[in-house]
Amino acid sequence: MSDKIGIYVCECGPNIASKVDIERILAEISNLEEFKDKELIVKKHQLLCSVGGKAFLEEEIKSNELTHLVCAACSPRDHDTTFINVCKKTQLNPYMYQIVNIREQCAWIIHDKEEATDKAIQYIRGGIDRLLYQEPLYEKQLDSNPDVLVIGGGMAGMEAALSLAGKDRRVFLIEKTDVLGGKSTVFSSLLPRQGTINSIAGRLKEIEKNPYIKVFLETELDKIVGFLGNFEIMLKGNKTGETIELLSGAVVLANGYELKDANELEDFSYSDSDNVFTALEIEEMLSKDGKITLKSGKAPKSVALVHCVGRKEAGYCSKICCNYLLKTARNIIEQSADIEIIDLHQDLCLPDKEDQAFYEEIAAKSVNFTRIKSVSLKGNTVEYTDISGSKEIINPDMVIIAPAMQAAKDNEALAELVNIDLHETGFFQEAHIKINPVSTITDGVFITGANRGPCDINDAIIQAQAASGKILTQLIPGEKIIPEVKVTEILEDYCTGCRTCLDVCAFGAIYFDDERGISVVNEAICRGCGNCVGSCPSGALRSKHFTNQQLYQQVKEALR
Amino acid sequence: MNPSDKILVIGSGIAGMEASLMLSKAGKKVYLVERLPLIGGNTIKTGESFPNMECSTCLVAPIQQEILQDKNIEVMTVSNVEKVSGKTGNFAVSITKKARYVNIAACLGCGMCYPVCPITQPNNWEQNLVEKKAIYVECAGSLPNVPVIDPSLCLHLNGKGECNLCAEACMFGAIDFLEVDELVEENFGAIIVATGFSTLDTQSVSQLGHGKIPGVYTAYEIERLLASNGPTEGLIVMRDGERVPQSIAILHCVGRKEVGYCSNVCCSYPARYAHFLREKVADVKIYDLYTDLCFPDKRYQKLNDETRKEKAKYIFHQGIDKLEVNEAGDMVEIKYFDEKGKQSSLKVDMLVLTMAITPSEGIEELSELLSIERDKFGFIYTPKDRIGSVSTSREGIFVAGCAEGPKDIQSSVLQGEAAVGQIMKLLNDKVER
Repeated sequence: MSDKIGIYVCECGPNIASKVDIERILAEISNLEEFKDKELIVKKHQLLCSVGGKAFLEEEIKSNELTHLVCAACSPRDHDTTFINVCKKTQLNPYMYQIVNIREQCAWIIHDKEEATDKAIQYIRGGIDRLLYQEPLYEKQLDSNPDVLVIGGGMAGMEAALSLAGKDRRVFLIEKTDVLGGKSTVFSSLLPRQGTINSIAGRLKEIEKNPYIKVFLETELDKIVGFLGNFEIMLKGNKTGETIELLSGAVVLANGYELKDANELEDFSYSDSDNVFTALEIEEMLSKDGKITLKSGKAPKSVALVHCVGRKEAGYCSKICCNYLLKTARNIIEQSADIEIIDLHQDLCLPDKEDQAFYEEIAAKSVNFTRIKSVSLKGNTVEYTDISGSKEIINPDMVIIAPAMQAAKDNEALAELVNIDLHETGFFQEAHIKINPVSTITDGVFITGANRGPCDINDAIIQAQAASGKILTQLIPGEKIIPEVKVTEILEDYCTGCRTCLDVCAFGAIYFDDERGISVVNEAICRGCGNCVGSCPSGALRSKHFTNQQLYQQVKEALR
Repeated sequence: MNPSDKILVIGSGIAGMEASLMLSKAGKKVYLVERLPLIGGNTIKTGESFPNMECSTCLVAPIQQEILQDKNIEVMTVSNVEKVSGKTGNFAVSITKKARYVNIAACLGCGMCYPVCPITQPNNWEQNLVEKKAIYVECAGSLPNVPVIDPSLCLHLNGKGECNLCAEACMFGAIDFLEVDELVEENFGAIIVATGFSTLDTQSVSQLGHGKIPGVYTAYEIERLLASNGPTEGLIVMRDGERVPQSIAILHCVGRKEVGYCSNVCCSYPARYAHFLREKVADVKIYDLYTDLCFPDKRYQKLNDETRKEKAKYIFHQGIDKLEVNEAGDMVEIKYFDEKGKQSSLKVDMLVLTMAITPSEGIEELSELLSIERDKFGFIYTPKDRIGSVSTSREGIFVAGCAEGPKDIQSSVLQGEAAVGQIMKLLNDKVER
């Protein structure tokens, strides 16, 4: 079949028509020397993106049996998809079409009509020549596995499992300790806005009952390869050393957080014999013994609550501490109204709509809320500078500190295993902090709960539900996965095995074939970003739809 | 189509848009109902977003485009939900699609129609910093890029004149004075309420001088001044259109006491303003008047610390109730009690009030017709027996974004995604196929 190239110039109403000479474009493009041996069909239309324009284009492609299509119109941002969709209704492969932007890049920025017309012609020539080197590309369809691996059995992990498991989707929930529930299992109570502690126990029961959730305790992720819809996973029992192999379509990371060790901080030092506790230790004490006592077993007469321990060093606010120290204050007051409480804070961060009222409730009782500039601790001796600048030293019976939340130690190893990024704080990095917060650079791998930054139980649960939303809409049982078409391919004969491409690939799409000594692209993971193409010293990598030759031809014609 | 394969999303802000796109990807038919003529919500009002300092329009425009081009998403602008009955899997809903009087399919958004319109009205989307015509788009770059006619003001439509100027100016015959309101009746499997927020009326804190002292601004007024598609195209000038402010004070937590909660996002404004104001006005002095600083994210504090160190002077004060704002010639004088309890004074060209986030306009009526409860502040209530839930008091109806309470873009997106997760699960579990 001989080439038949359709070139359609859009007037865009007055937008293009009044600023460039459309008739001259049509005449000059029809008579171009370099395309003399091709059959060109050159036409204009008042508005190609309109209903009538699209029908016109569809009819043109079909009746002329076009093999190539150029739309000289607006920015691809506006209507590339529109014209691709038109192609999809016809025999023309959508990768045999090229949009040329003669509106934003010509009509709208050049005042002189002749100059704008000249530039538009150059651009269209570039577009045609590029198009001649384009090749049809075809979508692939891959089977997918709807099952999900959830790593971490805390609040986020449990919620993800419960939101995902169903008659056509199994969940494998792995937990490295010997119990589910995470840190919240030691809580004696929740914040007033979070309801009662029973709702955590309720979830544990729901997990137990759910036939579609398989729990693996004392188990960790050992190895994982694959991509969205098709992950091959190896788990390892951390006591038994036994390995388990399974398949899943997606992975939810919910491995939680750790508390900073206050003793590592310059301004804080205390030993086991001092009556210094973290707020979490107080929760544990309360759930176990039902009351707060000193190490001697006696009740404290005075307590200091210290906020923001390690905030400066960590470089971020841990979000939850102001709230749970209020809860601790309430627990102490409930135990005895005679205990003297001083609350030392720099700021009060109470970001939920119901937090302010909780603060006011506690503030109305006999808690001495004191705003400070700095604080240090030696044993039970607390030294602080208050907001007015005066230095104070106090010696309360008991000190309860709120150390910063920090990234769990296994974040680094997990990030490496599943190929996602770490933020400078050590927490996981989102695909986009604002608009894609539970996704990562690896399709099919999601982050939830405190592994992506400080958060409370509510946040953890919302994030787990969000990741579930992503999975339930991306990985539908029985439906095929269609990977990116414009990927990179490797010309095996040219590859020298230098492995440069492995380092620059952000998606882990390239692996090294030791036997053959060459790099191999996994097309199901590749996003076609082109990083590797630029880095390859021997030109062995070729970005489909953005080949060197296509780009070279386009630039050459545009500059002619 | 089975009703359970159709979802109603009310509100086209960042949460509603994210939810719509996800549902569409899963093959659901989405009706995205928006009362305004444009989609995008409050996010597109802000010049830049925190903490990456990305241009908000650039962040959101691709999402808006995707929505408008998605065949599974039926975008209904200038529309209101009127009636809801039924239950999970089959809610019967009536929606009024108000006449736009401009044919969306025919209009190209060339902008020839509104300059000729003889009627002007305040543009409250632009915080009343400029006026708009009776036929208008709210701002440059509105999507869908199609004007709308206000029938109460248009001379042709309200019968007060013979005017036909916009129709004559339109080269595409897109003006349609005969268009009428349309009642759409559809059945849906589930509903997401994502109607966003308003901000506290400055009249509730009238002692701070907004509306009386020209140098007093709200944060959203500054957002629009900073925005390149705003009324000054990004030029920072005072209300006279000429004077460039040399000193700006930002007052945090305005209305926090009145509304009874922290609005969660305002503490991040100053770092953003400091960054961009200093880019636009060299040597501008920036002051930050605060009582508490709340940065509940791993990234926010660092940026704030940098701002504090290099770009703005942070001043602790003893509370807004002890603060006085007065006009001082061209300037604004703020008297406050400092950290030592001493009264001090600060004179600036511009005082910016970060107003508390409040429930959105119309949420009362909407919650009533949906039969869902609201909390004591007026936001949509989420039951506490399921911690961290996006469920409302009625099964099958979910809430996302600031309709549930003040939150940032990230948390709004998270709730939008969570609502989708819960809907997919609910419909899979509950609805027999």
